[in-house]
Amino acid sequence: MGFRVLVVDDAMFMRNMLRDVFSRSEDFEVVGEAADGKEAVEKFFELTPDLVTMDIVMPLKSGIEALQEIVAKDPKACVIMCSALGQESLIVEAVQSGARDFIVKPFQESRVLEIARRVVTRA
Amino acid sequence: MDMSKYREMFLSETREHLDNMNRLIVSLERNPKDLEGINSLFREAHSIKGMAASMGYRRMNSLAHHLEDFLDQFRAAGELPVKVFDRLLAGADLLEQLLEDITAERPERDVDPFIHEAIPPLEDAPLSTEAPEGVAEEPTGEIVNLVVTLADQAIAPSARGILLLKECLLLGHLVESRPALPELSRGGKLKTLGISLQTSCSFAQIESALAGMPDVERIELQETSSEGPVAQRRKDDLERSVRIRTELLDKFINLTGELITNRTMLQNASRLKDWAGMNDGINQLIRLVADLHYQVLQVRMMPLKSITGRLPRLMRDLCQGLGKEIRLDISGEDIELDRSILEKLSDPLVHLLRNAADHGIERSGIVTLRAWREKDLVLIELTDDGRGLNPQLIRDKAIERGFLSRTLAEQLAEADLLMLICQPGFSTRDEVSETSGRGVGMDIVKSSVESIGGILELSLPKTGGTRALLKLPLSVAIIRVLLVQCDGQIMALPITRVQRTLELPREELKRSGRQMVIAFEDEVLPLLSLRKLLKLEPQPERTSVAIVVTEIHGRKVGLMVDQLVGQQEVFVKALDFPLNKIAGIAGATVLGTGQVVFVLDPLGFMDAGHNTEKGEEG
Repeated sequence: MGFRVLVVDDAMFMRNMLRDVFSRSEDFEVVGEAADGKEAVEKFFELTPDLVTMDIVMPLKSGIEALQEIVAKDPKACVIMCSALGQESLIVEAVQSGARDFIVKPFQESRVLEIARRVVTRA
Repeated sequence: MDMSKYREMFLSETREHLDNMNRLIVSLERNPKDLEGINSLFREAHSIKGMAASMGYRRMNSLAHHLEDFLDQFRAAGELPVKVFDRLLAGADLLEQLLEDITAERPERDVDPFIHEAIPPLEDAPLSTEAPEGVAEEPTGEIVNLVVTLADQAIAPSARGILLLKECLLLGHLVESRPALPELSRGGKLKTLGISLQTSCSFAQIESALAGMPDVERIELQETSSEGPVAQRRKDDLERSVRIRTELLDKFINLTGELITNRTMLQNASRLKDWAGMNDGINQLIRLVADLHYQVLQVRMMPLKSITGRLPRLMRDLCQGLGKEIRLDISGEDIELDRSILEKLSDPLVHLLRNAADHGIERSGIVTLRAWREKDLVLIELTDDGRGLNPQLIRDKAIERGFLSRTLAEQLAEADLLMLICQPGFSTRDEVSETSGRGVGMDIVKSSVESIGGILELSLPKTGGTRALLKLPLSVAIIRVLLVQCDGQIMALPITRVQRTLELPREELKRSGRQMVIAFEDEVLPLLSLRKLLKLEPQPERTSVAIVVTEIHGRKVGLMVDQLVGQQEVFVKALDFPLNKIAGIAGATVLGTGQVVFVLDPLGFMDAGHNTEKGEEG
């Protein structure tokens, strides 16, 4: 029950980790996963989740491109960018393109949930 | 706040900036790679934007902001492409028209069509031109200035800053941010973000909206008037340029004319070996130079009001915060001081005021600030009628903290005892209050005052309360000094530090224990040897002794020198590192003879503890 989440990352273990984080909380439920930007956009419009966690660097289509496509069609979309440490310029670009917030790997579970809650409730 | 009295200034300044803009655009068109020109143009637009915002001219603000963002893209590239000039000129013309609207007291014309016009494919900064969701087209409300401080370990702080600004857009109209959005977009470190938001939300509402963001350490309301960003920049401008009354400029022109005439006169006299004529010329030159000196100093003089003007508001806020009722009486604000002195004076006065409000006065009372002139000095006095500093408490604290031994503490005169609170780390309040009392205030007040060549004195008036007296020189750069000779070297003492000079026969010197003294004006004046202070060889005995009567820590002291040489007006240069670390040296000057002379600060010697043995024969 609760907010529906789409998890996007090209690494399976990252998707698993995030899935576990969200399933441990009561207010979030992972309803789908995607492994690249193209799949991310497709799944977004198919599932219409309340929240997307989007990795930045991915094959086929980058997270930022996917973000831009999603936000162009649905300005109310809540997308949180996930990036590795040291990719600040990409985070800045993502934020300017419409990402609501960002989290940095390695994740801290509490922080992920804190940011996720903040983003969906302020939407 | 009533903006109408600033209208004249706003109009003339905007006019100036616009003229500069036009000039720069034209020159850049001829030389599009002039990076300095591009930066200057950017700054002009930025200035206009800020001024328009604080005057409430929204459309001018919006247009200037648009031009500013437009220009910002080219700063990194260092070049303006050909196709932008038409747009820039059109933008400047539109600003001109807006200025006309404002001058004629018409409503500002619409600038949106221009802003949204198809422009060469360049990114529009979304935050500046598009009306964000949930905010009415016409922004209303007051301008709120905040400072958001991010956690030290914040990740991607610039991105966080951008998110904060986006959040602010939901609450009102973003007037300005420091750093601005284009700079944030470049990424990099960020610790504090200043935001000027025109909003009808209260600070509390804004705070709760922003505080929920990760890595936000604290959000504070910036303590300035609603001219916030402008006032800050104005302060920076203050340092780089001056506004001069045209009548003053006329005087300069006249003086220059007279100097040229004088020069010709001297040249002729020299050629004809006409000594009388040369003497006349020199006398005239002396007069002209004195005049010039005076006029130049006038340019640098500003009324005390420029820093005391905001004190009533500060006191009001303090009272609200502390729940006290304190009346602030200020008199003598029109007195003029050199601007560099005023700058250094601002923080100390604020601190003294806070002390009076926080510690001095219990529930209600009066704080008086008085300024007046005495000869070459400006005196500023701040008194409160509260409970006053407690000498016994200070004494006890000093002993407890190891500042003084019990015997010394007991011998110390009240004036010196009170000055102990200016020692770093000395605070007689055990709890640190919000407004002051961290023990870092008074020592900075004292050192700030001394750095401008002034003296701080604390006392407890008989009527109760505490009194802080600041004795300040009128001007810094050119001062009158007393030249003295010591061990063959000539040294200078600022006249403001000299009360009197004496030459006495040796017999007049008496001993009082280990201390040499003389009888002076019904007092016993302790003597110090300058040679001793400077660690020079003692002087061979002479029949007469030259003494400079000066004041150290509120007490008169006689400084023994070898010889009094004379008085002169000199231009004092501050010394660079590492010479500026020498205690007791306030600067240096070069005499007409080419000789370098150090300017001494007797206070500095005392404080540095050079004074190991006082006034022995030497």
